[in-house]
Parts: sequence; structure tokens; C-alpha cells
Amino acid sequence: MGRLRAETNLTVASPSRARRVAVGAMFSSTLAIAAAYGSAFLSGGSPAWATWLFVGGTACLMVGAMVLGAARPGRRLGPVLLAFAFIWIVIVGGFSVVLLLPATDSAVSALWLGLPPRAAVIVYGIGLLPVLVLPLAYALTFDSLTLSEADLERVRAASRSGGPS
Amino acid sequence: MSVTRLLLQSRALPLPPLARPAIIVVALLYFAAIAAISVWAARRTHSARDFFVAGNGIGLWALALSAMAATTSGFAFIGGPGLVYASGLGALFLILPAGITNAMGAWVLAKRMRLLAEVRGVLTVPDAVGARYRSRLAQGLAGVAILIATIGYMATNILALGLVIDSVFATGITIGIWLGMAIVLAYSASGGMIAGIYTDMVEGSLKALASALVFVFTLKSGGGMSGLSRSVLAADPAWLGPWGRMAPLAALSLFLVFGLGSLGQPHVIHKFYMIRDPRRLRWYPLLMTCALILSLLLYFGVGFAVKALVSRGDLAPLARPDEATPTFLLHYTPVLLSALVFSGVAAAIMSTMNSFMNIGAAVVTHDLPVALGRRMRNELRWGRISTVIISVAAALVAQHSGAVVVLLGIFGWGLFASTLVPSLAIGLNWPGATRAGAVASIATGLALTLVLETAAFLHRMTLPSGVTVSGLALVSSLLVFFVVSWVTRAGAAETIDPDIRLVMDA
Repeated sequence: MGRLRAETNLTVASPSRARRVAVGAMFSSTLAIAAAYGSAFLSGGSPAWATWLFVGGTACLMVGAMVLGAARPGRRLGPVLLAFAFIWIVIVGGFSVVLLLPATDSAVSALWLGLPPRAAVIVYGIGLLPVLVLPLAYALTFDSLTLSEADLERVRAASRSGGPS
Repeated sequence: MSVTRLLLQSRALPLPPLARPAIIVVALLYFAAIAAISVWAARRTHSARDFFVAGNGIGLWALALSAMAATTSGFAFIGGPGLVYASGLGALFLILPAGITNAMGAWVLAKRMRLLAEVRGVLTVPDAVGARYRSRLAQGLAGVAILIATIGYMATNILALGLVIDSVFATGITIGIWLGMAIVLAYSASGGMIAGIYTDMVEGSLKALASALVFVFTLKSGGGMSGLSRSVLAADPAWLGPWGRMAPLAALSLFLVFGLGSLGQPHVIHKFYMIRDPRRLRWYPLLMTCALILSLLLYFGVGFAVKALVSRGDLAPLARPDEATPTFLLHYTPVLLSALVFSGVAAAIMSTMNSFMNIGAAVVTHDLPVALGRRMRNELRWGRISTVIISVAAALVAQHSGAVVVLLGIFGWGLFASTLVPSLAIGLNWPGATRAGAVASIATGLALTLVLETAAFLHRMTLPSGVTVSGLALVSSLLVFFVVSWVTRAGAAETIDPDIRLVMDA
């Protein structure tokens, strides 16, 4: 157990700023979503800003969770941050386009890949674009950011020497 | 538009008769394959570890396909297309986060849960909560939440399976319920998670294949995506609006609860313990996401195609939204494909039931005794006995009380999300989370979900448009988790055991 404790201290010597930022962002986002829900209880129903608050809050909450999961003390997130930023832009940008485009869908409207523009942004943009980025970002950064052979061996060695407490 | 009401219709009313020779033969072949896998798995189940976590010995494909199979219940094939038909694009917000959730789950939970199995030999999801906070109370509360939601899920799925069996074999609903329960119970109790994982593999493959093929026929029936859109836009343009017939806040609420809430679904995240080589997780999000997207094509395609066909007068308006899939299949696809899909529906329900039987039995056999400070001696034997007891209880509820089934069915996803996302998904990654924060957050999610859903069900309370109980409970439990953890943060680091800290920082 002594060796395990020493190894743990080494591992956590450098607290992760990314984790603190992620937790702060998640807390703020949760407050934003709570405010959006709260506004729905006002007489006259939820105002337009509540939808924007909900969109921003949801995007930050989901991306914040990914940053929190990917962050490791003493390691930079590096290129995977680009993937997370892309997802945030897809969610916020996609819903913004949907909210800002005029509601003029009709039988003669132009179609984008077979769907009216706002529906196409929802289905192809927010629904499918992340599929092209996130799973590959996870796979390509797996060794450097998630779990290398050395990381695994380190955990196994510590487990063998310390065992469950 | 009440989404909850639409969601529940698929669990309460009979399906149209589907008895055709080809459908019956394919269904029988499918059940025979399940039986063969069960016998094989039962011979390989020798310990509680085999029974609850498949001996930590499954491969990547088995993990991805079984996780996908457990994620998409029969709702994806029957209720989901009906929901799309009735409420338009807004119904898509349930599945819209699917492109994000699996990678998110991998970053947040997969590695850490698998490494927990490495250092602690954990068997259940509440085990992870208990280990993280060194708290039997947190583990017990998480177990109670899982057990309540599990019985609800099982009752609704047993009823749905009974409806499908009645529809295919004309057995009557009661016999359908007990026959379906007996089939799933036979392989779940004998082969445990080994049987579950490998039958899920077959079921997941069947679902993905059937869904992709049906999607091709939906495009063909309506003149491609453009033809479908033009037909709907001419008759009902609001249906293809970005939120469909829902309020924007209601649709976004679904996106939040089914997106972030995916991190708290024990029947999926429990499977992270089971992969043999943790480094094979590298390709898990890619495989799982592709399989999931394939299996969800039917959800969108059939609802969209039936709406278009009704709009242009090729089909009569449906009496009930749940008839969308049977109606489309019987009119627009070859009978063999219909047979494959109806077996896929049964497969989807069975794989979800199996996962819940296993985690429910684990709570009764393992988590609650551990929380009370008494560990059972023979967890394998008691696991099998608990599986039988929980299944019979759920079948009795399904048979005798439609109202209770409906009420229990509402709890599922939201209860898991509000109790497990903060304490487990965030807690395993944030050293600042405290035992008090976790206990308070689980208790908040549990109490809010049970009280508010029951009040809404009994018409004692009406929430404003766009506000859902599951969303409120998730947001409240998150806030309680953060605030209580910050208030009690002094000494937070001391409550984390060194090996758990190593897993959190790995």
C-alpha cells in the first residue's frame, strides 16, 4: 500500500487545470439550464432567451463532461481540444442557425440533401457531423491521452503491490 | 403533445395481428438460436464474476454490439417510429445525441470503470459508487434507485414482449407475457451475463441489419428523401419544422436528458467492466456509434415514410401511432424482411430485459447486502434466485396492473440519469466531489423523480410546456452535487482511497 500511495502522490502532483475549468463550466451550464427551466414557470411561458440559454448550457455541459473525462493531471489535452471545440460549435452553431432561419418551409422550398434547411441542420449537422469526428478523435488520441500500454501496466503493478484497501 | 403518453402507448395496447408462416418460422429460428447460446453459456458460468460481468472476458465486438442492443429496446422499432409519425422531427431529439454519447461515455467512464474492475474487482455499478466515496450509504442508495427503475423497465418490456408474441403467435397477451418472460429468464438465470452478452450480439446484429434494410425500403416507398419531404411539406409543413410539434424547450430537454443522461444508464455502462483488454476500448466509440446509427435508421425512416404516405393519400391515417411500423412493413417490404424486423423487435426487448434482470439481481444479491454490511456467501446461486424472483415480480406487475406498469415505466431513464450522472460519471473524474455531495445528489434525484412523476401521473401537478420531470431532476441533482461537494470540500481528498485515486488520474 505504501508503494501505491507514493505512486499516487507522484501521479497527482500536478493538479489539472482542465478539470477545474471543466467543472466550473459544467456548474455554470447547469445554472443556465435551471434558469431556462425556471423561466417556463413565469406567467406567459418561457421567453425566447430561455431557449438560447438552454442551448448554450447543454452544449457546455456535454462538452465540459468530455473535457473532464479526457483531462489527466500533468498532461495537455492537445489536439483533442479541437474536436471538443468542433462539437461545441456544431451544437451551438447548429441550433443558432435553426433559431435564426425564417420558418418558411413549404412544398416548393429548396431542400438540402432532401430535407428543408432547418431540418437538415438538425439531422445532418447536429445529428451526424459529430459521428465523423468524435469516435476518430478518441481512437487517434487513445495512446497519448487515454490509456497507453505503460499506463495500464502502471495501474496493474500498483494493484498487485497494494491490492484493494 | 404529451411525449410521455405517446411513449407509453406502445406498452399498453395490442399490436395488429402478424401471424404469417414466414414470420412464425423466422421467430422460431431466432428463439432456437437463443436457446443454443444459453446452453453454451450456462456451461461456462461458474462464478459470480462470470454471472455478473461475463468473467471480464469479452471482446470489442461483443462489447459494442451488446451495449447497442441494450441501449435500443423495442421502443426503437415500434414506439419510436410511432412517435416520429405523431410528433414530427421533435421526436428525433431522443436519438439526436447518439453521435456524441458513445464517445462521451468512453472518455468519461469506459476506461475508469474498466480500471476499477482491475484494481477492485468490482461487479456492479453501485460497487463503483461505493468504492469512489468509500460509502456504503451511497452504494445502497444507488442500488435502490437502480432497483426501482429496473423493475419499471422490466415490467414495461415484459408487457411489450407479451404484445409482440401475442401478435405473431396469437397466444393472447397473458400467455405472451409469461412465455416471453420464461424465454428470457431461462437464458438469463442459467447463463447470466455470458449468455446475455452473446445473445445480445446476435440481437444487435439482427437489429442493425433489419433497420438498415427497412430504411432502404422507406426511401424507395416515398421517392427518396426529397420525395418524402415534398409530400409532408405539402400537407403539414410544421411536422418537418426543427422541433416538430413540440415546444423548443421540450425538444431541447430531450436532447439534454438523452445526451448527458446516457452517462447514467447502468445497463450500458456496466458492460465496460467486461472487456478483456482495456486497450481495445480505443475503437469502442466508433463501432458502437456506427451500430447504433444503423439500428436507429428505422426509427426515423419508418415514421417519416408513413407520414409521407398518409400525407399523399397512399395510406389511410393510422388509428394509433404505434401501428406505423407494422403497417409499413406489411405493405411495403418483402415478408422475409418483415419477419426479420419482428424478430428484431423481440430481440431488442429481450436484450434490454436480460440486461435489467442481471443488474437488478446484482443489486439484490450484492449491493444491498454490502450496503447493510452483510455479504452473501454464494452470490452465484443467489444471483440466479434473485433473477427469477425479480422477473416473476415484474411479470405479475405487467399482467395485473397496467397503471402501475405505466407509472414504473416513466421512472426509468430519468431516474438513472439523475442519480448516477453526478455521483458516478462526474464523481469518477472530479477529485473535489465528496461523499456528502454524492449521497445528497442521489437522494435528490431519487426523491424528485419519484415524487414529481407520481404527482404528474396522478394529475396532482402540471408542469409548464417544455419542462420535464427527468430534466428537472437531472439539473437539480447536478446542482446539489456541485454545491454540497463545494461546501463539504475540506478533506475531500482523504475520502478517496489511493487505488481509486490512481484510477481517477490514470
